[in-house]
Amino acid sequence: MLRKLAFSSIKSRLKDYVVLFSGLVVAAATFYMFMALATNQDFLGKNSMLSANNTMFIFIFGAILLAIITFFYLIYANSFLLTMRQREYGMFMMLGAKTGKIGQLIFMETFLLGMGATLIGEIIGIGLTQVVARLLVQQMGLTLQHFNSFYWPAFLITLAFFLALFIFAAIWNSHKLMKTPVLKLLHSAEQPARAQAQPIWLAVQALLGVALLAAGYWSMINIALLQLLAIPFALVTIVLGSFFTFNATFIWLLRLMKKRRSFSLRGIRNFTLSQLNFRIHDYTRMLAMISILFALALGAITVGLGFRNDLSVLIDSFDAYDVKLYTHSAKIDAKVAKLDIKEQATYSYKVKGNQIYYRQDQLQDQPLYYFHYQRSGGISMQMPQRRRFAAKDYQISRDEPNGAVQNAYNQLGIKSIYGGSNLTGHLVTAAEFARLPGKTSQLTLIRVQDFAAARQKIAKIEQAQLAAAPEFSEVLENSKYANAQMGTAMYSGMIFMGLFLGLSFLAMLASCLMFKILSGAYSDVKRYDMLNKMGARTSVLKASVAKEIGVLYALPGLLGIIHVLFGLQLFKLLLLNPYRGIWLPFLIFLLLYGLYYWLTVTLYRGIVIPKVEIDK
Amino acid sequence: MTNEVVKVQHLVKTYGKGNEKKFTALKDINFTVENGEFVGIMGASGSGKTTLLNILSTLDKPTSGEVRINQQDLTQLKGNQMADFRGHEIGFIFQDFNLLENLTAAENIALPLSLQGVAPKQIQPLVMKIAKRLSIESVLDHYPTELSGGQKQRVAAARALVHQPTILFGDEPTGALDSNSARELLETMSSLNRNDQVSILLVTHDPFSASYCQRILFIKDGEIGSELRRGERDRAAFYQEILDNLGTFTE
Repeated sequence: MLRKLAFSSIKSRLKDYVVLFSGLVVAAATFYMFMALATNQDFLGKNSMLSANNTMFIFIFGAILLAIITFFYLIYANSFLLTMRQREYGMFMMLGAKTGKIGQLIFMETFLLGMGATLIGEIIGIGLTQVVARLLVQQMGLTLQHFNSFYWPAFLITLAFFLALFIFAAIWNSHKLMKTPVLKLLHSAEQPARAQAQPIWLAVQALLGVALLAAGYWSMINIALLQLLAIPFALVTIVLGSFFTFNATFIWLLRLMKKRRSFSLRGIRNFTLSQLNFRIHDYTRMLAMISILFALALGAITVGLGFRNDLSVLIDSFDAYDVKLYTHSAKIDAKVAKLDIKEQATYSYKVKGNQIYYRQDQLQDQPLYYFHYQRSGGISMQMPQRRRFAAKDYQISRDEPNGAVQNAYNQLGIKSIYGGSNLTGHLVTAAEFARLPGKTSQLTLIRVQDFAAARQKIAKIEQAQLAAAPEFSEVLENSKYANAQMGTAMYSGMIFMGLFLGLSFLAMLASCLMFKILSGAYSDVKRYDMLNKMGARTSVLKASVAKEIGVLYALPGLLGIIHVLFGLQLFKLLLLNPYRGIWLPFLIFLLLYGLYYWLTVTLYRGIVIPKVEIDK
Repeated sequence: MTNEVVKVQHLVKTYGKGNEKKFTALKDINFTVENGEFVGIMGASGSGKTTLLNILSTLDKPTSGEVRINQQDLTQLKGNQMADFRGHEIGFIFQDFNLLENLTAAENIALPLSLQGVAPKQIQPLVMKIAKRLSIESVLDHYPTELSGGQKQRVAAARALVHQPTILFGDEPTGALDSNSARELLETMSSLNRNDQVSILLVTHDPFSASYCQRILFIKDGEIGSELRRGERDRAAFYQEILDNLGTFTE
């Protein structure tokens, strides 16, 4: 009977349950997806530019973060479940249901809900892993190797993790409900508390918060000075700074607004401000945590896309020339004709024993392009500049060849210098070249308008060359195209990780905030009902809800964005320009975050806004 | 005729739509409240008191009939008009105070004015004035949880009256008060009624509270059964008559 009752009240709150359930499903799916990546060593090793060991470390670090946030997420989701149910269970107890029986019911409910969500989440996770991976691969032109969307260890780890958490949550819930006096369960909505804080202490905290944040930001900007110490220092100061900022600075601002009567006494503002004042006290730790996680998530996405930006620039710096033709055939020429060529130059060479000869006049007519590497000035990563040698740089001398000549030997080599070429280069005049015995061979260097666009065509040319002249395989395997392929493979792992971590963190943190806010909604029902009776228009109440929740979303978001803007300084070591194209990840991120905001407001309104129009 | 603040004619309220089981909460209710009158509505639980009050305060709509407050036909109001109407014309006092715990007493009292768009500068003096009238100046900066039941109810009364509504509705306002606080509140209410010409409609099932009224309507099973007038008698005598009437009325 009791079971039936419990179930019928689930039905009456179906909408809230659907949100809770789907939230849990998303959490399980995300966790599985991450684990499918993190525990799959093959995948990591092949897709990261760092060694597999390092990557494991990064991923384990990510997995721990994800586990922590999932843990908090479940706490908030669980407290939402508890607030939703305590009145009904209180009622059952008042009607004489045995505490043990109620405890059992709550345990069952929490546990079944959790396990159902986990299993469905894992199945969805498998599907999503496949879809997301394919989508990313397609969208970004990435290549992922050894990627398997179903991975047993990941499946089991996720199951075990959630099982443990839900058993914990179920015990917690039943314990909490059984220990709480029935009357308190029934009237839980009516327990306010006065916000106590001494103005001086508040001011000290507010200043401390700002000062700590400033110190953290300073250390990230001056990473060159502090070296590795900058990271732990920034972590501690920013975490504490965020906490104090929420605990004091924002409260202080709210009080200031409340005190300005000409501002606060308009419309429903005073109520909204007071709601916020109460909320922020309750939310301090949560909001501080969210601002940090927000920064981590946004940072991960930004850096992920930053790697993508870098990739094209990096590829361009692999070689000054896009294609080198070592051999000709009708087939190859036809393919070359299809390229959108910007510039091309042909050079002759003759091989005699271990010696290889080039014509000085040809190089003087068409000097080679090269990349000039500046002396690294500090810690930031810099790209070389494309330059061209001058005709006078190509001088024949008996001494060590100068830079230009050495460059020509490398660029025009037919054996890889990395493969231990034993050919010695020589620069000779045209007349001398003609006198040399042996066959004259030709080498054509091509620069295309857009390497990325021509990449597929170039691939075919490379293949054709390999097939026609396998003796050049050494140089062909080190061509710009071959390097680009390898670079893409290495970077795709990093990009994928960045995006994946960022998005899953976002989903979790926004859901945490959502459930935390919604848990408080039931105790607000009476307040909004009161305001309605006092003649506040529904639109005014709705606007108040939107503003209140808006501030709760905006504050950690804003602080998180500031954290990221400074935090990107750290990535100057790994990225060319961490701030390039930054609007895109920010936009994606804010859209998703906004979506959660909208969902929260809608659900909250559904709970608190009284129905004004009662049908006749 | 313009002296009527509340006029109810042939009011019927039926719950249950379509095929659902129908329940008629109010059957053909008729009464008026004159300006400056202190009227009580008495009845047992389930008699339709709350439904009537909800309809009078535009929180619920009548099935048929006419309800006018301050010459305004409530059945013609829609959406925002209903909210605005509640804001301007009606003051509420409830059994459980219904103060907003996250606002101080002063802020609670100021809220109806803010909601009506009264300029912040004018709000402060109006709050002070009504607070003085109800002797709660000393607790204005306190939060509701720091107040006694009687103080809370006087803050609620101040909030209900600060915007000078056409009529004050009391829904069992003494229900959660001890006898001393209840007496004080009722004295205050009748003083407001006598000296400040506040029209009051008090819904109660407590004969003692009702004895402060000038006129009492007895409601039973959705109909007005009988009516008592205090006239020139003193309160104690009226109280006795109410008790006698209740005895015969409920049988």
